[in-house]
Amino acid sequence: MFDQTKIRNFSIVAHIDHGKSTLSDQILLKSGAITEREFKEQLLDDLKVERERGITVKARAVAVNYTYNGEVYEINFIDTPGHVDFHYEVSRSLAACEGALLLVDAFQGVQAQTVANAYAAINANLEVIPVVNKVDLPVTRIPEVLEEIESVIGLDTTDVIKTSGKTGAGVEDCLAAIIERIPSPKGNPKDPLKALIFDCKYDTYRGVITYVRVKEGRLYKGQKIYCMKTAAAHEVLEIGQFRPHMEPCEDLGPGQVGYIVTGVKVLGTIHVGDTVTDYHNRAEKALPGYEVPQQMVFCGMYPIDATDFEHLRDELEKMSLNDASFSFAADTSDALGFGFRCGFLGMLHMEVIQQRLEQEAQVDLIQTAPNVTYQLVKTNREEVFIDNPQEVPDAGSIEEFREPIAKVQFILPSDKIGPIMQLCADRRGVYLTTEYLGPKRVQLTWELPLAELVFDMYDKLKSITQGYGTMNYEVIGYRPADLVKMDILVKGERVDALACIVHRSVAERRGRAVCKKLKEEISRHQFEIPIQASIGARIIARETISAVRKDVTAKCYGGDISRKRKLLEKQKEGKKRMKQFGQVEIPQKAFLAVLSTGEEG
Amino acid sequence: MAGISSICSNPDDRAALTTRSVYIHVPFCRHKCGYCDFTLVAGRDDLFDRYLAALSQEFQVHGFDPSRPTEVDTLFLGGGTPTHPTVSQLRALLELVRDYFPLRSGAEFSVEANPLDLTDEKIELLSEFGVNRLSLGVQALRDDLLTLLERDHRAVQIGPLLERLRPVFASVSIDLMFGIPGQTLGDWEQSLRDVVAYDLPHVSTYGLTWEPNTAFSTRLKRGELNRADEGLEGEMYLAAMEYLGAAGYRHYEISNFARPGFECRHHLVYWNGGDYEAFGPSAARHRAGRRETNVRSVLGWLSAVESGRSVVGDAEDLDPETRARELIMLQLRLDHGVIRDAFSQQTGFAFNDLAAGQLAELLASGLLEDTGEAVRLTRQGKLLGDRVAAEFL
Repeated sequence: MFDQTKIRNFSIVAHIDHGKSTLSDQILLKSGAITEREFKEQLLDDLKVERERGITVKARAVAVNYTYNGEVYEINFIDTPGHVDFHYEVSRSLAACEGALLLVDAFQGVQAQTVANAYAAINANLEVIPVVNKVDLPVTRIPEVLEEIESVIGLDTTDVIKTSGKTGAGVEDCLAAIIERIPSPKGNPKDPLKALIFDCKYDTYRGVITYVRVKEGRLYKGQKIYCMKTAAAHEVLEIGQFRPHMEPCEDLGPGQVGYIVTGVKVLGTIHVGDTVTDYHNRAEKALPGYEVPQQMVFCGMYPIDATDFEHLRDELEKMSLNDASFSFAADTSDALGFGFRCGFLGMLHMEVIQQRLEQEAQVDLIQTAPNVTYQLVKTNREEVFIDNPQEVPDAGSIEEFREPIAKVQFILPSDKIGPIMQLCADRRGVYLTTEYLGPKRVQLTWELPLAELVFDMYDKLKSITQGYGTMNYEVIGYRPADLVKMDILVKGERVDALACIVHRSVAERRGRAVCKKLKEEISRHQFEIPIQASIGARIIARETISAVRKDVTAKCYGGDISRKRKLLEKQKEGKKRMKQFGQVEIPQKAFLAVLSTGEEG
Repeated sequence: MAGISSICSNPDDRAALTTRSVYIHVPFCRHKCGYCDFTLVAGRDDLFDRYLAALSQEFQVHGFDPSRPTEVDTLFLGGGTPTHPTVSQLRALLELVRDYFPLRSGAEFSVEANPLDLTDEKIELLSEFGVNRLSLGVQALRDDLLTLLERDHRAVQIGPLLERLRPVFASVSIDLMFGIPGQTLGDWEQSLRDVVAYDLPHVSTYGLTWEPNTAFSTRLKRGELNRADEGLEGEMYLAAMEYLGAAGYRHYEISNFARPGFECRHHLVYWNGGDYEAFGPSAARHRAGRRETNVRSVLGWLSAVESGRSVVGDAEDLDPETRARELIMLQLRLDHGVIRDAFSQQTGFAFNDLAAGQLAELLASGLLEDTGEAVRLTRQGKLLGDRVAAEFL
């Protein structure tokens, strides 16, 4: 077993795009864990969707050996996602560490998620080491950034480390600080085993791979282990560490981070947050585990081909094993048939899951527009939660309609206060406070209906502030509001999967915007298609999709029949991703049209 | 002439299946017109000798041999502009083709021609080699539209030209385009009346196709050209059906109208799923379910032939069902549509089995009609022919 006093466990917390992944890779490079060639790619982001989007979604754990002052240290590095949707993953990772590097961009300075993540680390009793990154940028604001770290987060910046992920400058200083400032893990190797499951993933060949951090005792190959929450026993077929690829080892002691392969293939038998102990020498009490995260956004996911339903269920199960913050339940729609109602932490989380389903599981999906969970008080005083607009009862039986409210912090350049205040006011927000973080940067706090926030506020903020504004939010409760269910009719028939819940004051604008968007998304047919929005029996908006008048290619490209046939086959292929509704074919994307707000015009 | 009409008046054009057909792509032009996406080189007449040498080499690669020439029933020289080369170049080409592919008695020999290329000398030359069908790239009969299309002739030159061609060629066809930017329904109807007055055996009408990677598409994107309204295009197409139909033409294929007996036999081979040889850049051939298309670039084709590499750019072997479905796509373009008996004989599939999912709906929507013997596009169906054909693929 590795000398416990020479083990260090740390995370890097940062706002998105502050260079976390590049700096992480520099640390791996400097400690010899990866080669120059591997460094070229963002190694820790091994999900395809992460590479495509350049973001970290899932936490990752890597062990490296590093020689400092002649002594070999084992440094376990637990990577964390930076986006607000994945805050839950961050807190999980932090629980497996004794320290964290707080990474701040030398030009952008402290941002909304810097604050949120720094507080999360401080609350988890971690030693937080401030690091100013990207010091090689042509323009930096280092003195102001240091002041922001001191005043906003309250960290001493006397010994701040200055790094560049790009050039590798300061990376050794980081490693030295990790060794000198972060305490070695506590825990007695002689005590009964207690290891925290902080992640897991499904591997087609090896079954469930469980990521653990040993807190007490010793975990070894061949051991019979016991999961305390699920009360299930398993045999350890293999244990190992990520260096950064899976490398087997004999045992893991207190403070060490690694993986367990038990050969378990059945989904749902391993729970993130559970405690692993020795089957014969069980710990008395489990580790605290994790809070179950609150799903904020719900949408329907339906297989385009109805025979994919069972396959989709299996894939969703695998996905939820890998991501405890995602939930699903079977659901049906008149328009879309059998499918699932799925819950997510936020919009990015939803997009990531959808993309992973399509890429990894190869299921073609129709996804309905996302919505938040509402609360209804019926005339009989019964209180119900509604996460699907189809379930809204008749207006007559609703006593009170309530919506979730979030407290939102924006950090932005002070010259953009006006447009953001206006945006929040337009979105039925309640203004709380303004705090200046420096002469040119300000933190605004608003209360906003979650529904007005989750879908596009982040994009709006980015566009208004040219990318310099950031935000973070938490849901604080439910409040009554004048909400109505808006139905969409296509060629006279109500399409339940297009229904949505809107505030009465913006219903007409939204209705017009949704109809207009649907007109763009639904391709023309050989007949006219009226698109209408209604509240109850009252039509509030209408568009008409005109009929196709001519669609025939004159020439047959000489004798090149293949080319002609392929063109037509492509035309036909496009229709496969559509759902036939009556005589009208509605493409997948149209079901998201409901998100159109009509704010642009 | 008797030979042509006896073959083509056959109601299901089944003769196409036993026809020996050859297409030769002649990729030379004076100028590349803005709407054109065919394979050609403009201003590279210097390549002609290399082209001719490569062509004869390609004939040989495919096993053809001038010491044992292959008689053909239909021969088609397309382009490009097959009449663009000089008289002596054209003679050399025609000699080469005759050496390999002499015409069987009653054969159809079609050549695409640019009106202004047709000097008396070239007319005589074409006739000498047995060309009996000319397809004239007239495109429009209004000078401003001809200018827009970047054609070199004027409307007034067409009438006198036709008078010179009539005594020489058994069949003369002209191509006309509709849906040209700036063209009105009135303009188009006047062109149709003019064409009817010419009293030709064959007329092709093409809706202007906006192919990507053409100068026209670029100009469309820049807003320099306006695309004709789709409704107007539809009306123009209907007008062509009406005017030419009333004048006694058979609308035998989506884009083609002919006096009975003057249908293009070479093209009927394509539309009936027959076999044909093809040579030259971008040329496409079909042999019993294998379709091959030569590389599209002229220089790419030349260097491939010269270095002994294969000139085939794309090839596919169609399985029997795909072949049958493709035949539905092709035959729906013909006025008689898919004839059930002939279809099952040719493909081994019953049409109704392949069409089970779509037929009822397409009949109900009025795009197809079922005579019991055959299924064909209605007038409305012809306007939406691609949509209907795609349903069967």
